Amino acid sequence: MKLFVYVWKRLAMMVPVILGTTFVAFLLLRLTPVDPARAYLSVSNIIPTEETINLVRHQLGLDQPFWLQYVHWLWQLCHLNFGISFISKIPVSQELVVRLPVTATLAVLSLIIAILVSIPLGIASALHKNKFIDHCCRLLAFLGASLPQFLLAYLLIYFVSVKFDLFPLQGTETWQHFVLPSITLALGLIATYSRLLRNGLLESLEEPFVLYAKARGLGTVALMGRHVLRHAIRPVVTAAGMNLGKLFAGTVIVEQIFAMPGIGGYFLEAVYHRDYPVIQSFVLIMAIVFVLGNLIADVVQAYLDPRLTQQGTRKQVE
Amino acid sequence: MILFRTLKVLRIPLLFVLLLTIILSGCTSNLSNKTKEDKILTVSWPKDIGPLNPHQYTPNEFFAQGTYYEPLIDYGPNGKLIPKLAESWNVSEDGKVYTFHLRKNVKFTDGSNFDASVVQKNFQTILANRDLHSWLGLISEINKTEVVDAHTFKVTLKNRYYPALQEFAVVRPLRFLGSAGFSDDGNTAKGIKKPITTGPWVLSEYKKNEKAVFTRNENYWGTKPKIKKLIVKVIPDGEARVLALQKGDIDLIFGEGVISLDSFVALKDSGKFKTAVSDPLASRALIVNTSKGPFADLDVRIALQHAVNKKALVDGVTNGIEKQADSIISKNFPYANVNLKPYDYNLEKAKALLDKAGWKLPAGKTIREKNGKPLEIELVYMGSDQIEKPMSAAIQSDLKQIGVSLKTTGLEREIRNKRMETADFDLLFWNSYGAPYDPHSFISTNFAPGYGIFESQQGIPMKNELHQQMKDVLLTDNETDRQKLYTSIFTTLHNQASYLPISYLTNIAVYPDYVKGWGFPAHRDETPFAIIDVQK
Repeated sequence: MKLFVYVWKRLAMMVPVILGTTFVAFLLLRLTPVDPARAYLSVSNIIPTEETINLVRHQLGLDQPFWLQYVHWLWQLCHLNFGISFISKIPVSQELVVRLPVTATLAVLSLIIAILVSIPLGIASALHKNKFIDHCCRLLAFLGASLPQFLLAYLLIYFVSVKFDLFPLQGTETWQHFVLPSITLALGLIATYSRLLRNGLLESLEEPFVLYAKARGLGTVALMGRHVLRHAIRPVVTAAGMNLGKLFAGTVIVEQIFAMPGIGGYFLEAVYHRDYPVIQSFVLIMAIVFVLGNLIADVVQAYLDPRLTQQGTRKQVE
Repeated sequence: MILFRTLKVLRIPLLFVLLLTIILSGCTSNLSNKTKEDKILTVSWPKDIGPLNPHQYTPNEFFAQGTYYEPLIDYGPNGKLIPKLAESWNVSEDGKVYTFHLRKNVKFTDGSNFDASVVQKNFQTILANRDLHSWLGLISEINKTEVVDAHTFKVTLKNRYYPALQEFAVVRPLRFLGSAGFSDDGNTAKGIKKPITTGPWVLSEYKKNEKAVFTRNENYWGTKPKIKKLIVKVIPDGEARVLALQKGDIDLIFGEGVISLDSFVALKDSGKFKTAVSDPLASRALIVNTSKGPFADLDVRIALQHAVNKKALVDGVTNGIEKQADSIISKNFPYANVNLKPYDYNLEKAKALLDKAGWKLPAGKTIREKNGKPLEIELVYMGSDQIEKPMSAAIQSDLKQIGVSLKTTGLEREIRNKRMETADFDLLFWNSYGAPYDPHSFISTNFAPGYGIFESQQGIPMKNELHQQMKDVLLTDNETDRQKLYTSIFTTLHNQASYLPISYLTNIAVYPDYVKGWGFPAHRDETPFAIIDVQK
């Protein structure tokens, strides 16, 4: 019940955060030096004279006061209308329906792979601190953290797809198409998570409750699974919550290389052309994903450690 | 014992590896997208083909519109005009009335007839959106259109406009959609119902942002394509496109700037693929702002021409794939075969000219000065352009040798365009429109205010005469006068050094042995898919 109330409170807090983010984005966009009317004319090969700029500004609704534009946009949003792209003249929602699932699948898969690989690696490193396995894991973490995504993507394509033909190169037709891009995105996360988990485990292993558990005769698997991991995995959960948003926003390079029609490429084009409705929709989606990612992480944290949902936790514990 | 203990600890990672191996073993090569079938050509393009609206711009891709729809007149080698949907045409004595005799027995892909009424319908929607197409001189000049009979169509212009025939060959907006493809109100600016064409291909499958499949139009009026199917895959990244070709997922890389020129050379040197480079299709140059700053002085402009090592730029940055340019429009374009003495690369001449202009090199300094002011200029380029950026750096190094400080400014596209339109630069990287738009579109952008070129030419002493000649040449009624005017215009621009031509852009092609009959179209935005064959 306490968890339920906690989640409700956090959901209610989402509204002002998202409203604030979209307002700031709306304002910043209008402070950029290039007029979208001019960008539209440039894309359409029309000479940008004062007359044509004013005409297009009127057509795009950019001649209205700032606050009116913002209220109009919010009103449209209430009707699930994300607006119409200035450049393609296609409703933004039509594009998002096709592109969002691709990016979401990629982001979630990467996160799942990262967590599934990091947990055994982290445990092995912690149990064999400063031994061969730990050194191997450290090397992997170093590689994962230092290899740029684009280089890793090309290496994977060249060796796994071109040379050994194990996975398809580009597209989204089958689940196999998602494997290489997900691994590309996951490797950097594995580097972080496995080291976070290793350190967390090493700290937890020093805790008195581990000594008591051992005294109760608990074996390594039961000790790690039931007690230590639950305690040590919390930093990983926090990081994963933060990374969900980053993964949504940062897939553009991977999407381009693996020819996946996600939201990254769509947003990049929109930035080039100052396509306000697309940029605003993207900011909104990112705000929601970031807030939701953090919320999910916090809920998982609260589940792992119920003290977090209680008022005056520290006092009670003390 | 140690091994056993290690295995025990590693059982979770090992289980994971085992699971991964099982997954991998399930991924046999039958999942590969390798193109194995005969008579099917798979190509890639950086963007989705778009809605295939023949009368609109972004997100419609030139490449797709050019492949799919047909014009009345085609643009051939050296600017020769070739009958396409019009089998012949007449131009009235006053140069204002164009009568097209349409090809008979041409059908659209939905079985409907191609005739003068459908041509009229297409022109009506294009002219209803005149402002949108105002960049094309012909559209602004059209006064009225008329259906004379089922196979005769007449276009009347407001004024004489000699490039009209050449502009009937452009990819958009002057190509023809079948009646059933129009929206209910007949206005294609709001979209089309279906891409119905007279062309050699029918769109048979389409997955937005992923691929488009075109099947041969078996009822095509002309020579049918040799291949049965054309598959266009969307691959935005150039290097990924190279890897797709190496893997065999695509059969051809074709276009301008679709892969890095380093990759082109690597593919060529690998010996596994055939490569080809087209004739010049457009010009890459620097616009020199004569209206202000050091370049207001002709001697400084000519010094610049002598100071830049174009051969090194072309060889070093483009691996020799672009051709060195000594005139602003390549000689293979109509009326551009004018004998102009190229400015040679000669640093001593450049230094002498700067001395003459009063820009002296003070003792102990590396930058020239005049009245205590250092010789500093700014070169604006498109920040994301992979050719302009290294070329800017090389030019900076060239100019340093003659005591000129060059600041290179890479800008995002829209900001660069704004700087160009307001002539807020000393030097600016620029490309011409190319075939079939040049040389007349090039001329139009020079005399019409708004683009930034007219503004940058305000320092040319004979600018009024020059711009008048540019206006006059579009109204000429005979070849002799036209060539005379073009010769004079190109000579003035060359002598006044208001451009620094650097290179001519080309199309490239890379393909395996089994792709036969390759040939580049003369038109910058056309594709050769209808003439090539795939024999695997």
